[in-house]
Amino acid sequence: MAFELALPDQLRKQGWKIKIRERERLEPPHLTIMRRERSWRLGLRDGQFLDDEPDPGNVPRELLELIEEHWQTLCDAWDAKYPNNPVKQKDDEDEQQDIPS
Amino acid sequence: MSSRTYLLERDERTATQFAALHPTMLRSHRDIVDALPTATNQDTWIIPRNDLARELVKATAGQSRRFGRLLLLDQTPLQSVPPLLRYFQPVVFAATPCAFLPPEELACVLQSPDRQFLFIGGSVDHKSRTCTLWRGDLSSIVVPFDAFPAAGDGTRPDFQDFSVTDYGQTLRFGRYEAATEAVLYEYDPDYRRHLKARRRAEDTGFGPSLRRLRKQRGLRRSDFAPLSAKTIARLERGEVEKPHGDTLAIIAKKLRVKPDEIEMY
Repeated sequence: MAFELALPDQLRKQGWKIKIRERERLEPPHLTIMRRERSWRLGLRDGQFLDDEPDPGNVPRELLELIEEHWQTLCDAWDAKYPNNPVKQKDDEDEQQDIPS
Repeated sequence: MSSRTYLLERDERTATQFAALHPTMLRSHRDIVDALPTATNQDTWIIPRNDLARELVKATAGQSRRFGRLLLLDQTPLQSVPPLLRYFQPVVFAATPCAFLPPEELACVLQSPDRQFLFIGGSVDHKSRTCTLWRGDLSSIVVPFDAFPAAGDGTRPDFQDFSVTDYGQTLRFGRYEAATEAVLYEYDPDYRRHLKARRRAEDTGFGPSLRRLRKQRGLRRSDFAPLSAKTIARLERGEVEKPHGDTLAIIAKKLRVKPDEIEMY
C-alpha cells in the first residue's frame, strides 16, 4: 500500500497529498507532493526539489515543515519499498559496494 | 475557429460535474442532429451514458465526414464502436466499469496543459497481460503487466482491481499504486524529452542519465564488463568525457537502449 503522510485538515481540504508509491522512478529516492493534477518531487538524499517545474515556490511552507518533521519516517518508507536503492546510499558508498577491494 | 466540447447528457447534476470544460449540452437526438452541421474534427464529444451514445450512432449514420474525438465513459457495448469509428477519431471507450477518473478530475485533466502526460482511464486485458491506458489528449499507451513489479515491502499489483486516481497521476491496482510518470518514463520517449527540459541543470548530461538508467535497470557499476566499475563511476560523476564507439556500445547494450537514447533518461 502506498505510503501517504497524514496531513492536517486544512492542507488535506486544499487537496495536498504526500506519497511514496510502490512504483516510482527509482533514482534518486524521493517523495511526491501532489495537488490536483500537479506534482513536485522532493529528493530524500538532499532535501532539494528535483525539478524546476512546477515552481517549488508554490508548495506551502507548512507542508515543507511537516515533511521535515517526518523526514525519517519518509526515508524509512522509501527504503521499505526500494531496498535496492536506499536513501542513505551515497555515491561513494555505491562505488565501494560495487568495487571489490 | 476554436474547438468545442459537446456533452451528451440529460441529467443536470452530471452535467454540472463537467462544468469546467464549458461544454455545449446535447440532451436529445434532436440536439445531436442540430449540432452535427457545425461540428468540426477538432471537437471533443463526451458521453457519460450509453443511451445517448446510441442516439449518436443513429444521428451520424450516413454522414460523410468526421466530427472530432469521442470519449464514451459508460461501459460500451462493443457493437457500438465500429460505426462510431467511422465518424470519430479517436474513440476512447471503457471495456470495464469505472475505468475512468471521476468527472471533476476528468474535466480538470482534459484541460490541463500537461494532459498528454496524465492518464484519464484505461483497461486491463488478462489474456495478453497488458494494460491499455488513455491519456488526457485521448491518445493511448499499452504497457505489459511486467511494468508493475512487486515493491520491496512485498506489495503486488492486483490487476482485477484497477483504477486511475490522483487526477491521473496514479494507477491503482488494489493496494498497489504506480506513479504515472514512472510508467511514462519507461515507455514514452516524448515524456523523457519533456522531463529533460524540466530537470535541474546539475542533473543533466551523460553522467546523471547513465546513473538514473543504471539504477532503473537494477544494475551495479560492476555489471558493465569489460568496463571497470571505476570507469562507470567516473562517467557518472562527469569526471571523464562522454564515451564513444565501443565503450558507448557496451554501456548501451547493458542498459538495453540504443547508444543515443541514454541521455534521454
